[in-house]
Amino acid sequence: MYRFIILLLAGLFVFSFNAHAKVDFSGKTITWVVPFKEGGGTSRFSRFIQPFLTKYLPGNPTIKIMHIPGGGAIKGSNYFQKNAKPDGTYIFGCSTSVIVNVATGNPLVNYNLSAYKPVLLLPQNTHWFTRSDLIDEAHDISKLQKRKLVLYGLKTPASADLFHIWVFDKIGIKGAKPIPGLSSSGAWQAFQRGEIHLNSQGAAKYIKNVKPQIEKGKILDIMTLGLVDANGNISRNPLAPNAPTFSEMYEKVNGKKLSGDDLEAFYSIAAAWSQASKSMLLPENTPDDIVKVYRDAAKKMVNDSDFKAKATKVLGPYPLTVGEEAGAIIKKAAIFSDNTKKQLNKVLKKHKFTYRVK
Amino acid sequence: MEQFVSAFFQLFELTHLLFLFGGTLLGLVVGILPGLGGTSGLALVLPFVYSLEPSYALAMMIGVLAPTTTSDTFPAVLMGIPGTAGSQATVMDGFPLSKKGMAARALSAAFCSSLMGGVFGAFILSISIYYAIPIIMAFGFGEQFLLIILALLMVGALTGENFIKGITACILGLIIGSIGSAPITGDLRFTFGTLYLVEGVPIVIVGLGLFALPEIVGLLDSKGAIAKALKNEKGWFRGVKDVFKNWFLVLRCSSIGCIVGALPGLGGTVVDWIAYSHLKQTSKDTSDIGKGDVRGVIAPESANNAKEGGALIPTLLFGIPGSGNKVLLLGGFILIGIEPGLEMVTTHLDLTYLMIWSLAIANILGAGLCIGFASHISKLTLVRYYILAPIMIVLIFFATFNINRDWYDFVGLLGFGLIGITFKAFGWSRPALLIGFFLSTKVELLSYQTQAVYGLTFLTRPVSIILIILCFGTILLLLRQKFKQSNTSSSLKNKKNQIYYVLVLLILPLLMISMISSLDYRASLYPISLCVISVLLLTIIFFVKIIEYNKYHLLKYPIVKFVNMNIYEQNSGFNNQFFYYLSFIGYLIMNFIVGFPIASVIFINAFIIFHDKRDYKISIIISFILLVILWFLSYMLTLQFPNGLIGLLIDMPWWLGGDLN
Repeated sequence: MYRFIILLLAGLFVFSFNAHAKVDFSGKTITWVVPFKEGGGTSRFSRFIQPFLTKYLPGNPTIKIMHIPGGGAIKGSNYFQKNAKPDGTYIFGCSTSVIVNVATGNPLVNYNLSAYKPVLLLPQNTHWFTRSDLIDEAHDISKLQKRKLVLYGLKTPASADLFHIWVFDKIGIKGAKPIPGLSSSGAWQAFQRGEIHLNSQGAAKYIKNVKPQIEKGKILDIMTLGLVDANGNISRNPLAPNAPTFSEMYEKVNGKKLSGDDLEAFYSIAAAWSQASKSMLLPENTPDDIVKVYRDAAKKMVNDSDFKAKATKVLGPYPLTVGEEAGAIIKKAAIFSDNTKKQLNKVLKKHKFTYRVK
Repeated sequence: MEQFVSAFFQLFELTHLLFLFGGTLLGLVVGILPGLGGTSGLALVLPFVYSLEPSYALAMMIGVLAPTTTSDTFPAVLMGIPGTAGSQATVMDGFPLSKKGMAARALSAAFCSSLMGGVFGAFILSISIYYAIPIIMAFGFGEQFLLIILALLMVGALTGENFIKGITACILGLIIGSIGSAPITGDLRFTFGTLYLVEGVPIVIVGLGLFALPEIVGLLDSKGAIAKALKNEKGWFRGVKDVFKNWFLVLRCSSIGCIVGALPGLGGTVVDWIAYSHLKQTSKDTSDIGKGDVRGVIAPESANNAKEGGALIPTLLFGIPGSGNKVLLLGGFILIGIEPGLEMVTTHLDLTYLMIWSLAIANILGAGLCIGFASHISKLTLVRYYILAPIMIVLIFFATFNINRDWYDFVGLLGFGLIGITFKAFGWSRPALLIGFFLSTKVELLSYQTQAVYGLTFLTRPVSIILIILCFGTILLLLRQKFKQSNTSSSLKNKKNQIYYVLVLLILPLLMISMISSLDYRASLYPISLCVISVLLLTIIFFVKIIEYNKYHLLKYPIVKFVNMNIYEQNSGFNNQFFYYLSFIGYLIMNFIVGFPIASVIFINAFIIFHDKRDYKISIIISFILLVILWFLSYMLTLQFPNGLIGLLIDMPWWLGGDLN
């Protein structure tokens, strides 16, 4: 109650006095809450952005990153919802798992993600590949479709890995069977030992670990998820320009264009999994002028020559999304339509998972 | 090779050396304080390292681990109390030597052989890393699963006094480790609707609770042995000469240390005894051994430092810890984002070499400091425990809070503290519990993964067969040695309590079964099978205890006799220890009301003055210095103090627990 009153007063104060005043953060400390442990992707993302943000925010505030890992990112996210003041001194470091917790209706979620104000989105993309003795040539999955057992790693069905089940179902790999409890690096090791047949990695690991093996002829590309732009156009991943996107593969396998419920589900999945892979958000009810100050700073940052030079190496080759359109993507990612949920539950049931998207 | 050299240069960066040096100093101190060891030391450091660069954090962690087995010789020689579990054999000859007035000789021989052993261990580790890739690639799900099961069996069988109790402790650890969201289905098991238990209690909390708290109350209860002061001792050089004269013994015992250390589960507690009995079996003249033979110090000390290098092999390559402190080291890896396995010898090879170099340097540094400042360092053994204990408790609370800034962690700490104290008092293996806890999720996942990929055929793969033979061979061999003498004496007073305790332990598996049996079978099968096994084992233990208590003549059967061996713990001082434990709860409540800084000052002063009123000056000075140190730490590392209820009424400044902004 005490905190609520303070929040209310702070909100009123900001609303009545600050609305017209120029936003200035000089001498202030901004807390960037990251609901993951140190060293993870979201932590690296925020650490990379941090100095540039200090540089371009008015008043050059100190930015402190606060890691609150636990509960599958729910603990830190709930903490943010409860404690963040909507005055620009709190930032949220969000990632696919934070979004998936909301989208799949995890009952422990107490954060209202779709009302947050996005500043910046960093896309990622998934590459699928297999061993060269399992298919005839790259991008041709006909042999895999006929195979009785195609094993792949899956962390838990309550994570973004859930989408793999849907993807393999849609491209007709009937023998696909998930090996549960494998982290992305655990799955990669098992793939190398020859214990699982399909594997997928993000851009960084793809360049570092997978590409060299492709050049040696040990691994063949299957497809990538594809990059979705603001208008819903799907384009190929610049890191593997020869590999078809999911939608191309879908068309090849099913003989019809990706459309209807499947397309709707794909857009939601792509938004959560790829477009909003890592993001930086402000709390709900943050006044528009503060949001604008942040978005302006982000725009300047993206055009900073130093940032440009380092970003590709640290963050990957995909362009960052800044401003209004980011909001639509987060909403699409965090709120799955009933049709999409039904689709996901159908494939979960098919693979005998008891977990259901709510 | 390139990484080998680059790691070497990285090591000699100034900041790097500073962290290594800081870790080494801390390691020396925790080694000297009797009872505390690398596990408690590491648990104290972990909450602070994860705001550091990974390489600095590694240097610090290795720094803490490496010299504990060097400095633990001080209490072993001077007081006749092992400083860590690994220096029990050192007491056998070290203490008699010091009684003969040759403490300096014993100490310098011990430090020198520790140094040799430690460097040898690092050397072996760096060679085996070279051959690691094919080994790791040969270990699929099936082999990994088997390796873990066998490691658990070994831990259970060999770290406790009693075989069955050790195994049961292991399984109870697995059960506690299965609390939280089920890895396959995501169902919540035994969480009582709280978010805190979804990911389970953090490993650092479990380590602090199981090891640090029991050792501290144990020390308080022992009232402190009288240490011999080192003054103008001579013979430092003689000890060094002894080591060089026995160079072959050092080499043999270091090799034993390495090999035994590399076997998961054996590590800490037995290696010194193995080296000691090796000495007895191989030397021609055994007349002086046990009465003050310097070789009796050299053998265990070179082995227990060499084992650190060996023990890092399964830890780094498979993520399977061989002892309590390796569990925490792995916990630290996770905190700083390093995953053991193939990456340690491929992409993170530089970090691996950095660890090896740090291990070697920390050993040299530790031994050097011990020899150079022996008379000063040995004074630490004179510090009264009731002055030391509250300082440690305050540090532990500060560390605990900074892991997650979560008040529930204190509940976890005190909960596991109670388990640790009772386990220690009633003779149940704490390392087995900790390792079981740590490996639980892995065991569950691997059992599903193995089943999905291989079915039961994994047992017939060549590596599996080798593993099975190796494991059972070692267990049989060591059990025979270990249980030659039994301490089942008739003079124990607290047998009844120990019988009741078995019944208390039964509550956990029974409660667990009743609460999760309604879940999907993929979420409940694993914990319920464990629970059933543990209920069976606990029942056996219960009845054997009853048999022994009432002296039924069933005891003459060899199996009953075997199970009965050491089934009671002798030195049980539970009541006094529980009283001290209660004071920690009082401290927690104070924290909750007035916040950490004020509560700590009250606690330290009250604790010390309660023991001896004349020490009020010391207590005031100590509490002030400690506060200054904590303020400095908090300022440098942006760590926050727990803010009490008072903070809701009055706006507290940060140095009294308010917000950092």
